[in-house]
Amino acid sequence: MENSYEETIDKRRVHLRPDTLRDPAPASLHLLPCEVPVNRPTPVGRFFTPAIRMGRDGLEASFRGRSLRGEEVVVPPGFVGYVVTEEKAEVLMGKQDDHERQEQELLEPPEALERDCDRFMGATASFSSFTVWGLESIPGPDAKLRGALSWPSLAAAIHAQVPED
Amino acid sequence: MARGADGGDGASVWQHVFLLPEYLKDDSKKMKSGLVFVKLANPCSGEGTIYLFNMCLPQLFEIKVFKEKNHSWFINESVQSGGLLHFATPVDPLFLLLHYLIKADKESFQGKFQPLDQVVMDDMFPDCILLLKLPELEKLLQHVTEEKEVDKKKYYKYSKEKTLKWLGKKVNQTMAALKTNKVNVSARVQSTAFFSGGQVSSDKDEDYVRYAHGLISDYIPKQLSDDLSKYLKLPEPPASVRNPPSKKAKLSDEPVMAKEDYTKFNSKDFKTVKKNSKMTAAQKALAKVDKSGMKSIDSFFGTKHVKKK
Repeated sequence: MENSYEETIDKRRVHLRPDTLRDPAPASLHLLPCEVPVNRPTPVGRFFTPAIRMGRDGLEASFRGRSLRGEEVVVPPGFVGYVVTEEKAEVLMGKQDDHERQEQELLEPPEALERDCDRFMGATASFSSFTVWGLESIPGPDAKLRGALSWPSLAAAIHAQVPED
Repeated sequence: MARGADGGDGASVWQHVFLLPEYLKDDSKKMKSGLVFVKLANPCSGEGTIYLFNMCLPQLFEIKVFKEKNHSWFINESVQSGGLLHFATPVDPLFLLLHYLIKADKESFQGKFQPLDQVVMDDMFPDCILLLKLPELEKLLQHVTEEKEVDKKKYYKYSKEKTLKWLGKKVNQTMAALKTNKVNVSARVQSTAFFSGGQVSSDKDEDYVRYAHGLISDYIPKQLSDDLSKYLKLPEPPASVRNPPSKKAKLSDEPVMAKEDYTKFNSKDFKTVKKNSKMTAAQKALAKVDKSGMKSIDSFFGTKHVKKK
C-alpha cells in the first residue's frame, strides 16, 4: 500500500486561502547568514532585536558571538511579502483513514475545485520589507539576494505576450 | 514524516516566506477560494513542478525559490530554518502547452491535427486540464501551431517554424528587460552575481542574446533550445563560457520540484538533491567555470519525481 499512499498525497491539492491575504498582521523578518536547524518560537525580541544598533555603514547586531551587519531590503514593486503556514489538518478533515480518503478521490472528479481530502494554507503575516544580515560585513548591492529581487521584473518580460506581426 | 527539524514537538510550525503579486490581495476580496498549488509537467524538464493556479482570473504562476546556503529566518518571535524566499510570478501558459504539443507531435500522432483537449492529457499530472481553462488559448496557440477548423471545432498541430519565430520574439523582449535592469550579461563575469550593482561592463548584443536565450531555455525542451540557438545565429561560445548564468545563480534552477507535496519545502534531502538530480546543460557549464557564488544551486523540494514513464 505504500505506493498508493504516495499517489494519494500526490493528488491532494493544497489551497492557499485568498481571504488570509487581505490583512494579515505585519511581521518583522530578519534573514540571518547562518543555519539555525530548528523551526520554533524563540525570544527574538528579548535577545536579538534590542541589541541592533545603527552603525556607520548600516545596522549592527550580534548573534552567537558573531558580529552581523545588516540593511533593510524592500520587496519588489507590485509584490507583497507573506508568511504562509499550513492550517491544522485535523480540524479540516476530521478522522479519515487512508482507505476512506481514497474512495473519496474516486468519487470526486479532478475538476472539483475543492475536495475534502485537500489541505489548506493561509497567510499568517505580511511584510513589505525585511532586514538582511551579513557576517562581519554588510550584504551590499552585490548580494545574491539583490539579484533575486530583480527576478519579478525579468520574469514579467519573459512571460509577457509577444507583439503581433 | 516529521515536519520540523526539532522533531515535531507540537510547537514546531513551518513558515514559508512568499512574495506574491499584490493584485492577488485585491482579488481576494472577491473570492473565498480559488488559489491552488498544483503539480504540472515542467516544460523544460518534464518533471513534476509546483505551480500556483488562480482559478478566478484564471491565471498560472510559477514558483521560484531563492536559497543561499547557511541562512535562516527570524520571523517575529520565531526561527525558521533554511532561509528560503519563494517568488510567485505569472507564467506564460503557452510554454506548458508547448510541452504537450511537441509530445503529441513526436508520439504516435505525428503530423495529425488534434483538438487541444486530446493533446493536453497526462496520467501523471492530471491537473494539466486546468491549463485548458486559461483565457485566450486560441490566440496563444496561433504562435506555435497550425490550425484547422472542422465543424466549428479547432484542431492543432505543432509548428516548429512558428514556434522558433515566437521564441525569437520572447528573446527580444527579454533582452530589452535585461538592458533596462542593467543586468551584467558579459561572459567574463557570468559566474558572479546575477545582478551586480548596475554595472554593465558589456553592451555587446550577442551577450544579451545569449543570456536571454539561457533564460528562455528554462521553459523549453533541450532540443528546442538548441534549435533556438541556431535560429538566433548564436555562435558556439568557447567551452568555458558555454551558457549564460541566467538567474540560476540566485534562484534555484530546477523550478520547484515536489516529490510528495510542496509543503515539504525544506526537506532534509536538500543536501543530497544536487548529487542525485541530473544537471541541466547550463548547470554543467557552470560547474566547469568559477564556482564562487554558485552555491545556491540547490533543488528544494526533495528528490525528483520517482515515477517516470
